[in-house]
Amino acid sequence: MTDHPANGLDDVVHQRVRLGILAVAHEARTVEFGFLQTTLQLTAGNLGQHLTVLEKAEMVRIEKGYEGKRPRTWVTLTPAGQTALRDEIAHLKQLIHQVEQAESGDGQAVTAG
Amino acid sequence: MTHETVPSAEGPHDLLMVVRDLTRQVRIAQRRTWFPLLVLAAITLLAIPVYRYAPNPRVIGTCRTLPGGASICTGVNAWAYAYWLVAAIVAYAVIAAFYIRRSRERGIGTPIRPYVVAGVILAVVSAAATAWLAFHPMAPLTPGRIHVSTAAWLLHGLATPLTAIGLALLVLARVERSPALLAYGLVYVAVVLAQGYRVVHSHSPWYFLPYLLVPAALLLAGSAGFGLIRPDAERSAR
Repeated sequence: MTDHPANGLDDVVHQRVRLGILAVAHEARTVEFGFLQTTLQLTAGNLGQHLTVLEKAEMVRIEKGYEGKRPRTWVTLTPAGQTALRDEIAHLKQLIHQVEQAESGDGQAVTAG
Repeated sequence: MTHETVPSAEGPHDLLMVVRDLTRQVRIAQRRTWFPLLVLAAITLLAIPVYRYAPNPRVIGTCRTLPGGASICTGVNAWAYAYWLVAAIVAYAVIAAFYIRRSRERGIGTPIRPYVVAGVILAVVSAAATAWLAFHPMAPLTPGRIHVSTAAWLLHGLATPLTAIGLALLVLARVERSPALLAYGLVYVAVVLAQGYRVVHSHSPWYFLPYLLVPAALLLAGSAGFGLIRPDAERSAR
């Protein structure tokens, strides 16, 4: 019996905002807090909480610093974060594939019946 | 989780759509295609006075003495040769600085390094190939009509600094994941290859103008096109 792809989903990543953070950080290589906040349309507090979850899971690295006098927070994807993102996308695609197969199977059964 | 504003129970289709949409937004925010094209057009136009007024048009190259004492030579204009190498390196440094500055302002990383590295490497390889071809001409050193083989045409065409610029643009298209820039880069390379190695029978001191003006016009048009015709997301990202 094959393992259902839903069993491989990581609760930390299988969530729209955190998956979005990982996707942006992956594409951008490194991303500033403000860009994430604008792109994901979140409040600073909300984004901060999601980042804390990802940081505790060692999926992102958070660095605080200054650009001139302006405080900046930079988010970088860790190798664990890259793996988690890749795995999540693979599992999502598998899930879609299985659902589509099940739907086409039902259709055939109805036609045959 | 109590702090989530977005429900976590979403379908795989929705989640994949989120990833695709965000990826697209980041790519658009990172694009600054108009700037490299503008800088490269500028160095192409600045080459005109170098080609026209630089002294010693033939400094490096090879010659063959003909019966009767006359000689026929191939060579490269050493000033133009040095100009392209220095100009290309300066141009890529300026492009890198611009991308990094804009990247910091926007709060997003830039993938420009592979383009800049490829551009500098191609400029150096182009300079080396040009020097090699000056000493090892692929067309026969005979007076009269010169026949240029396809291999010679292609090799000389690939060795020109303008082709090096075009090949680097293909790397930029890959880096920026821009199909439009890929199509533009291919057209540009095709144009500079087509005019890259031609026998010009001319006594005019401006004989080289089409060789520089056509690519410069293409680069300027590309810069204007990519600068003006941008998706809304890219406009707001500036």
